[in-house]
Amino acid sequence: MEILKDIADEVEQGHSDTVKELIKRALSQEISAEEILYKGLVVGMDIISEKFKNNECFIPEVLVAAKSMNIGLEIIKPLLAEANVKSQGKVVMGTVKGDLHDIGKNIVAMMLQGAGFEVIDCGADVPKEKFLDAVKNEQADVVGMSALLTTTMLYMKEVIEVLKNEGLRQKVKVIIGGAPVTESYAKTIGADGYAPDAASAVDLTKRLLNS
Amino acid sequence: MESGNIPVLIVNEDTIPRAYEKAIREVWEKGVSVRTEYDRPEDPPSKDATVVIIVREPFSQPRFHRSFADGLGGLAEYVMEVVHGAHDYWVKPMEEILKGTKSKDTRWTYTYHGRLFEYRIEDQVINQISLMIDRLSRAGHTRRAQAITWNPKLDPPTDDPPCLQRVWGRLCDNGTGGYVFNMNTHWRSRDLFKAWFENVIALTTLMRKVAEEISKRMQKQVQLGRYVDISDSLHIYGSYFREIEGDPEKGVKSFFEKLESRSFKERTWDSDFVKPYFIDDGVGKGLKPMLEREKEMPEKVRKAIEKELRLMEKDDYEV
Repeated sequence: MEILKDIADEVEQGHSDTVKELIKRALSQEISAEEILYKGLVVGMDIISEKFKNNECFIPEVLVAAKSMNIGLEIIKPLLAEANVKSQGKVVMGTVKGDLHDIGKNIVAMMLQGAGFEVIDCGADVPKEKFLDAVKNEQADVVGMSALLTTTMLYMKEVIEVLKNEGLRQKVKVIIGGAPVTESYAKTIGADGYAPDAASAVDLTKRLLNS
Repeated sequence: MESGNIPVLIVNEDTIPRAYEKAIREVWEKGVSVRTEYDRPEDPPSKDATVVIIVREPFSQPRFHRSFADGLGGLAEYVMEVVHGAHDYWVKPMEEILKGTKSKDTRWTYTYHGRLFEYRIEDQVINQISLMIDRLSRAGHTRRAQAITWNPKLDPPTDDPPCLQRVWGRLCDNGTGGYVFNMNTHWRSRDLFKAWFENVIALTTLMRKVAEEISKRMQKQVQLGRYVDISDSLHIYGSYFREIEGDPEKGVKSFFEKLESRSFKERTWDSDFVKPYFIDDGVGKGLKPMLEREKEMPEKVRKAIEKELRLMEKDDYEV
């Protein structure tokens, strides 16, 4: 449908007002909220994510597109809930305690949302108790942790420990990222995976939930 | 670099985005290869040069490049951090700073705003920007209007000393009864690829604030002149090379191919486009979300940011 393609294009371009208008028009044409989500908004974010992966667009452009998607999502959210449309999975995200850097985490969160995941963003400087509560309360499928400092990345292990102690470790996948983090560090602390960039984080999440 | 000399490069462009692109090309092509403490063993050495960047019209449009390591809302928050001290309360207490690398406190050791507006020496706290404004308002030709950041007691022992070292400014007659405010900034060390652009947006915003205040005091027109940015070590870290070189086998474009595949308009934004994102970028950043999120921000700072927000919303403020 042409209008869904237009929604995708306008999301990619970050034209929030046009996205709003197009969604209203699509709804008036009795196109379902689910179709608008998966064939319009998510497709738009997929395009920009693919461009980002191939170094064809800049980080702020991804976030500008994400704003358009969020604005569109707000309009159709009640309809999705009514129709009981499920997300691809629930991801709890946060930058670990002691670390206030959140740019990388925010980009991953946006790209995950764009790929159809529900993201519960705990913010920056997140203590293990907050991760734990979010996992319990939201029945999350994945926990994503970020750290930019060598001093704060050590805290990731503490979060994993607390998940183990509470008997939740087998129920959630744990992924980590951030400038000082490596694949081997992920293995050392018992995380399920490491992603060097936002696009890889989305691929990793999909892979882990499908495995 | 056979001689062992660090190259000295000069970039002279009309706008900030033009200067930014040119600087990246220059350092990439002519910079010396130097290994830094931030390079991982598997990374190539960084590219590095001493660079003087002249931006002839720092407020001409388009003022914003699209290539930087944050969103527009995040950039707005950074500007508030530098100009209004939004994150001065994230700085750790003095006794922790004095522990240097032995401190376990992961909070910050400084902010630019803290050092420029509240420089601590002996038992005094000195607002150097206010002194600059006073001095320039009395004698615009002065060569002493400057603000430093370096603290020789606090900075050498830490892992994270300030990159910006000094801000210097001077007024010159504009020939029609008013003045032109010229500003230079001096940097010890600088991440060109992921920090330069945001630094310059924040520092030129400070430049405008200083010029406006001088204009009010002198009751004369003060125009914004050229901005000069001098870095002893302006570098592109080895860890960014993958992003700059791309990966042709995997269809990943190089940074320069990305630039060349778009017109200049398509790789920049003007202030009108950016302003609503500065207010609220829709993904949790910007002035409004910042005020909602940061409950512990001191009241005085909150008020200053709320004022900025009101001006932006009234369309009375160009970012």
